Amino acid sequence: MKKRLTNIALSASIAATYMRAKLRQTLVATAGVAFGITVFIFMVSFIQGTNEYTQDVVFQQSPHLRLFNEVQIADQSLLDRRFPRMVNVVHHQKPKDILLNLKDANQALEDLAGDPRVQAASGAINTQVFFRLGSSSLNGKLNGVDLEKEDQLFSLSGKVIEGSYEEAMVKTNSILMGTGLAKLLNVRTGDQVVVTTEKGGNFPVIVAGIFKTGLTDIDKQQCYASTKTVQKLLGAPASYLTEIKVKLLDKELAPEMSHELQARYHYQGSDWKKDNASLLEGDVLRKMIVYGVAGTILLVAGFGIFNILTMMIYEKMKEIAILKATGFSDSDVKGIFLTQALVIGAAGAVMGLAFGFLISYAVSKVPFNSDVMITLDHLPVSFKPVYYITGFTFGILTTALSGYLPSRKAAKMDPIAILRG
Amino acid sequence: MNVLEVANLNKYFNEPVRNQVLKNVGFQVERGEFVAITGKSGCGKSTLLYLLSTMDTDFEGSIMIDGEQMKGKTNRWLAAFRNRHIGFVFQFHYLLPEFTSLENVMLPARKLGEYPVGEIEQRAMQLLKLLNVDGQALKRAGLLSGGQQQRVAISRALINDPLIVMGDEPTGNLDSANGATVFGLFKELAIERKQTVLVVTHDEDFARRADRRIYMADGSILDA
Repeated sequence: MKKRLTNIALSASIAATYMRAKLRQTLVATAGVAFGITVFIFMVSFIQGTNEYTQDVVFQQSPHLRLFNEVQIADQSLLDRRFPRMVNVVHHQKPKDILLNLKDANQALEDLAGDPRVQAASGAINTQVFFRLGSSSLNGKLNGVDLEKEDQLFSLSGKVIEGSYEEAMVKTNSILMGTGLAKLLNVRTGDQVVVTTEKGGNFPVIVAGIFKTGLTDIDKQQCYASTKTVQKLLGAPASYLTEIKVKLLDKELAPEMSHELQARYHYQGSDWKKDNASLLEGDVLRKMIVYGVAGTILLVAGFGIFNILTMMIYEKMKEIAILKATGFSDSDVKGIFLTQALVIGAAGAVMGLAFGFLISYAVSKVPFNSDVMITLDHLPVSFKPVYYITGFTFGILTTALSGYLPSRKAAKMDPIAILRG
Repeated sequence: MNVLEVANLNKYFNEPVRNQVLKNVGFQVERGEFVAITGKSGCGKSTLLYLLSTMDTDFEGSIMIDGEQMKGKTNRWLAAFRNRHIGFVFQFHYLLPEFTSLENVMLPARKLGEYPVGEIEQRAMQLLKLLNVDGQALKRAGLLSGGQQQRVAISRALINDPLIVMGDEPTGNLDSANGATVFGLFKELAIERKQTVLVVTHDEDFARRADRRIYMADGSILDA
């Protein structure tokens, strides 16, 4: 064991002498590794940052978990109950006439507030309405929400570009309108519009503020108001809620919890994965592109590293033979070149990570103003440690491999076969 | 006691055409003998020496050194054996040019790892002094003259007190004074320390003064 240790120390000191003797070559090789890893870190951070940002814009707008009631076809017809042992076929079954409110919604909200997995839960009442101003009338959706909780869930107040969120919170009969819708109706903060409900009632409301999420569909169709306001418009009692939105501490738990809650409260439910299936699919594709690009960069860098180290070892062929002639074994020879490769790999990788981080950091400070993405003021860059770990591991692995393969070949040969040429 | 026993040794080169360079070579060398192998260029004497040094493992027949069969041993085993028991001096010295003379001499002993580094260094310096190159000890080997490098290479071969010292024209690059020093040193090793010396040489004078002379021609031993 001690002998083994002194052998390793001896190999390392020989490697150190070689690296000092060929300092320039060593530095070029290190710089090659560093460059590859810098590019990798920067590219992945930037592309992933952009991906995550666009995803966040959407997900901020959608809860992790939704519970609601939907119009349904009865799964058991009257005939089935009357003639249970017969085969009954009903053509063109009509949907059941049910109330869309959630039974005992307030109790459910209370339960959810006490659940340790839940960050926040908010009850809502959503309804289709017409917004009228003068002769124009536009179809839209009015979301009656607990404005205080909604802000916790989706940071809605940050998206208000005109007017005041607080005003909408406290004043009844006031709404927050999507910027697209406001433009179409040509209304501003303080203007009055008329809301027509499904049942035909007309109610004047005040536009307390205008919001912009960056998602055209929402901005062009939706308005927010307090639950009380909407309940009043619909003539519904204070317990009438049609949707519960939940934000979890760990959003990956959503599908599982959705099933659990649906079973417990007999509501319908959906989770963010279901709601954004196409977006998530697109995200998978984008990730594949990122890893494709990153893989290519690493491959090119790896090939460069391999070339440099192979050249270094072929130059040393004769000296390998001399070392072996004086009694150094195959593994000593491999150890010498593996040490060189690992030192170059580790130094290059660390430098690459540092430069990659610096470039990414610099880029993340570049101002970027977008009309659509109002919450974006700088270029989005992701600083996840996993890219740095990947980059470092890759750097070490490729250099180790490119040091090991040619040295293994050299180590296997009889010294005389090398010296004779 | 025989330190070296060679029997039925055959060696072929396959490039460019198959060609037998050693034909049924067999001889024995006793401990403490000083043997010179001579013969014309191309008679196979260097090839024979490389086989005996275990650096070439591609042969038929048997080579026994100190009672151990060399045929069929692993590279690792042979490397350790060379390190401990064989000191080899190449015709073209073959030092590691990036290391100092002293480091070159010390490396095989550090590999052997039997003595602390300080002791090895002391011993290496003694050897360099013996061969009159102690003045070059801290110079990089690549900067030395051919004769100086040759003497450093001889010091390297002796550092581990090998059972057999082998040399392929070890005095070929030396002037007559230094050549005489080396000859004297080899003789002393053989007589006083009972180390065996096996030298391939063209130097008629050197060969005549050895204990024994093996004369080779055309891959066979004519006169042992």
